[in-house]
Amino acid sequence: MISVTPKALSGNENSIDLNNLSPEQKALEIKNLNLFYGGKQALHNISMSIPKGQVTAFIGPSGCGKSTLLRCINRMNDLVDICKITGEINLQGENIYEKHVDVAQLRRKVGMVFQRPNPFPKTIFENVVYGLRITGENNRRVLEEAAERSLKSAALWKEVKDRLHESALGLSGGQQQRLVIARAIAIQPEVLLLDEPTSALDPISTLTIEELIYDLKKQFTVVIVTHNMQQAARVSDQTAFMYMGELIEYSDTNTLFTMPLKKKTEDYITGRYG
Amino acid sequence: MNNLTIGRHISGQFNEDLNRLINNVMQMGGLVEKQLTDALKSVEKSDEELAKQVISNDKQVNVSEISIDDECTRIIAKRQPAAGDLRLIMAIVKTIADLERIGDEAQKIARVTLENFSGRQQDLLLNLDNLGRKVLEFLQIVLDAFTRMDAQTAIKIHSMDDKINREYEALMRQLMTYMMEDPRSIPQVMTVIWSARALERIGDRCQNICEYIIYFVEGKIVRHSSAKEVKKLKIKN
Repeated sequence: MISVTPKALSGNENSIDLNNLSPEQKALEIKNLNLFYGGKQALHNISMSIPKGQVTAFIGPSGCGKSTLLRCINRMNDLVDICKITGEINLQGENIYEKHVDVAQLRRKVGMVFQRPNPFPKTIFENVVYGLRITGENNRRVLEEAAERSLKSAALWKEVKDRLHESALGLSGGQQQRLVIARAIAIQPEVLLLDEPTSALDPISTLTIEELIYDLKKQFTVVIVTHNMQQAARVSDQTAFMYMGELIEYSDTNTLFTMPLKKKTEDYITGRYG
Repeated sequence: MNNLTIGRHISGQFNEDLNRLINNVMQMGGLVEKQLTDALKSVEKSDEELAKQVISNDKQVNVSEISIDDECTRIIAKRQPAAGDLRLIMAIVKTIADLERIGDEAQKIARVTLENFSGRQQDLLLNLDNLGRKVLEFLQIVLDAFTRMDAQTAIKIHSMDDKINREYEALMRQLMTYMMEDPRSIPQVMTVIWSARALERIGDRCQNICEYIIYFVEGKIVRHSSAKEVKKLKIKN
């Protein structure tokens, strides 16, 4: 590798230094995270900082632990009996794995959207305000404002504003996924986790969601798991490449997709045999 | 291409596409090198037939450029290359543009042979010999480095362009003197100046190709860096 390069000519002078984020810049800090499913270790000593107000993508082959890592961020793995976690994930300076942390409160701060759209069998309006209702909010005006704001943020308002009280199950797959995103952001989380949010969608719906992700980062920190490398390249500011439970390379997306430092990363993103 | 691992893609078709592309670039490089060799030979031997052949063969260089450019576009559209593959395609797109321009410069040099030089003025053309040999050598080494994607050699020879520039400046001074001594020779001397200028430009383009090789192999952009900065580059492998 070349040791001297004129920095101004490297093309990446605007990227942030992921190893030296200030506390204000960090949305999440993962420290020495290990995860075991019974006797099998699925995550090996993961340490990384996820910057605020940006999109961070996790990529890697199937079974590399990227979804497992994503699920750790809002303690979804707590639901797996044989799962044991060591290490820390700090959100707003507090380790989310501390005993006193209320998981329901945590999930208000860290919303999640899954691979397949999962709207509730309710109206579009009720789907969006569901999170607010279960926290005791019943003021019609507040709920209506929240629904409009969230649907607008999810780029769905124009399409559904005249049928808010129709069943959400009548929406197309792409619309349902945006509805689910609207539901997740209605409670104003800090972080939005997206687990392969477009893998079940057609290319046009995929592009709409990608455009939405770009807009969402103005308000939220977004962490996305995707199998589609071009999607990671298009939507994310940072990309983390994982392989067999280890974080192999984590850098700004421009660098990772044009000049990755590690051979494993290069082999994966160029589709070579490992 | 020792530094390439093109054959390791999971997609065999992609391997074939890249191999074909690289072979075509090498063929184009060979053609351009022959064009320059023939152009210089035609000047040296006053061989008008050879000069005409160089002028007519430039079309082949242009066709090669368009065809390789088209292949690169198709690969980008179909394969969305990343990392080393992307850098390779970008390096090729830029290299063939420079090779095509080298072909144009060779054509310009060949045209000098077709000018009417009287016996005494013919001696003026000998001045191009030394510069021509140096530029041809630079082109040959660059094409060899490109074939092997050898960044070490590319860094080493990057500064050859400076030597060519110095040679060009010395030749300019000499040609100026001719013009001052005998103003009647100005039209012929100007023709020689254009040829010298063409050779100097070929040196610049060879230097560009060195920079593309470094970009592909090391992922570092060294364009617009001084020769000193490029010399300081250290390569691990």
